[in-house]
Amino acid sequence: MATLASPAVSEATSAQQLPDQLPDFSTDAYKDAYSRINAIVIEGEQEAHDNYIAIGTLIPDQAEELARLARMELKHMKGFTACANNLGVTADMPFAKEFFAPLHGNFQKALAEGKVTTCLLIQAILIEAFAISAYHIYIPVADPFARKITEGVVKDEYTHLNYGQEWLKANLETCREELEQANRDNLPLVRKMLEQVAGDASVLHMDQEDLMADFLTSYQEALMDVGLTSREIAKMAAAALIG
Amino acid sequence: MFGLIGHSTSFEEARAKARSLGFEEFAEGDLDVWCSAPPQLVERLEVTSATGKTIEGAYIDSCFVPEMLSRFKTARRKVLSAMELAQKNGLDITALGGFTSIIFENFNLLKEQQIRSTTLEWDRFTTGNTHTAWVICRQVETNAPLLGIDLRQARVAVVGATGDIGSAVCRWLSQRTGVKELLLVARQPQPLLHLQQELCGGRILSLEEALPEADVVVWVASLPQTLSIDAANLKSPCLMIDGGYPKNLDTKASGAGIHVLKGGIVEFFSDITWQMMEMAEMDNPKRQMFACFAEAILLEFEGIHTNFSWGRNNITLDKMDLIGAASERHGFRALGLALQSDPSPALTTA
Repeated sequence: MATLASPAVSEATSAQQLPDQLPDFSTDAYKDAYSRINAIVIEGEQEAHDNYIAIGTLIPDQAEELARLARMELKHMKGFTACANNLGVTADMPFAKEFFAPLHGNFQKALAEGKVTTCLLIQAILIEAFAISAYHIYIPVADPFARKITEGVVKDEYTHLNYGQEWLKANLETCREELEQANRDNLPLVRKMLEQVAGDASVLHMDQEDLMADFLTSYQEALMDVGLTSREIAKMAAAALIG
Repeated sequence: MFGLIGHSTSFEEARAKARSLGFEEFAEGDLDVWCSAPPQLVERLEVTSATGKTIEGAYIDSCFVPEMLSRFKTARRKVLSAMELAQKNGLDITALGGFTSIIFENFNLLKEQQIRSTTLEWDRFTTGNTHTAWVICRQVETNAPLLGIDLRQARVAVVGATGDIGSAVCRWLSQRTGVKELLLVARQPQPLLHLQQELCGGRILSLEEALPEADVVVWVASLPQTLSIDAANLKSPCLMIDGGYPKNLDTKASGAGIHVLKGGIVEFFSDITWQMMEMAEMDNPKRQMFACFAEAILLEFEGIHTNFSWGRNNITLDKMDLIGAASERHGFRALGLALQSDPSPALTTA
């Protein structure tokens, strides 16, 4: 039902910033921010590898498939390491380890307790949805080398998200309660992680609101495929926004 | 399956709506929270035509509120994400309601076909403008005579004449209705000249010049906040069709002989069970809805899965005929003045 532009719309259009303008990849400020963002990505891929291998110990009949996913994560890790080398940046790995520590701790605790649902929610849904949305936001503002690598990675990550979805879908009736609890415990961590890197991300021209919104969209979509209702999902997603 | 993409008319209303639908957590959130919130498929519904055919559809709230209009990236993302959600849910034809199509058009989102991993298929969406234009024309044709206005002797001002809906209304009124004279009002002079040429008639005037001359005023432009209308300068009777969005003409123009009618609103012949319209400020929310929404429903009834209304100035009289006939066949009628039930001088259904 378009009508003539309201003044508000016209003003917004004229005041709009050029979206997705490329940053200067050669500045110290860019490289400094990149050293942490890139480290997070590398650490994330390494942990993803380790987590999939670990989940395989809980569901041995899936161990082979999980090992295949894990190998892909290692390949991604190498790709992102090459991205840092290409820009002449050294990834700040201690920062990244600390960044992942709370989520890592929750995963290890769930693993020790044999909680497959929690482990899958953390790794195959939360982290994958987080990665996919971050990569989507990053691709339009990435340097040409990293862009190519990241585009390849995104396609793989969807298969990982899909793996988690399929398992949870098949087991939804028995895992719903644990899923909700795991969501409550871990989704707020993801929001905090996002806030923690918002400054660095903005140097890379990645907008925090975009990151959060895209993450929630991916997460919501994954939960929908698992078989939860819109209302259940909205309630769960709100834990990230409000919690 | 048809889809409707809508949004709340204000942030406060959005929070109240979230609360009433059981989305307590969202209701508590501030505007920043809502900016990040993804679109929600809040309701699935069934509609049965007067012909007996039943179809299914869904209502998607984009979680956009007008307070976000100044945030270009947010508004863009809200619209595209809602469209993505519609497509991913397999909705065949979805209407872009409220500000959704305005943002789509004004921010030129046609070049943003790729959103995340989804390539938006434009033929799944319609602005609904063809039906809106047809309904507004019917509202003029039906209600003017009720006020004693003979359209063959009447001057009809179209404010926002060069817009998608406005130009279609001008075409119809000049070629089908046969009004005495069209008064063309819009901001940009060049498109007005083009329109005048196309119509082979119509007089280009400023708003101030047009209003005192008009027996009927069709508003298809959003109203500037600063606009004030002096009722003393209007003809009596004067029929004003408020076809803009949001619908707030009744706050600007009232007085003896001034009749404001909500434009582009239709009423269905039977009740529809949906919660969303309860919040859309309709007088009879079980039956009334925006004509643009109804267009998606009509296209689904007719099995026309294509972007029927799309882009600017593509609305032909043939298309208006087609959607108009479907509208009547399936049980919609254009909202009219409530002349009998409201005895006050400033008759309005708003």
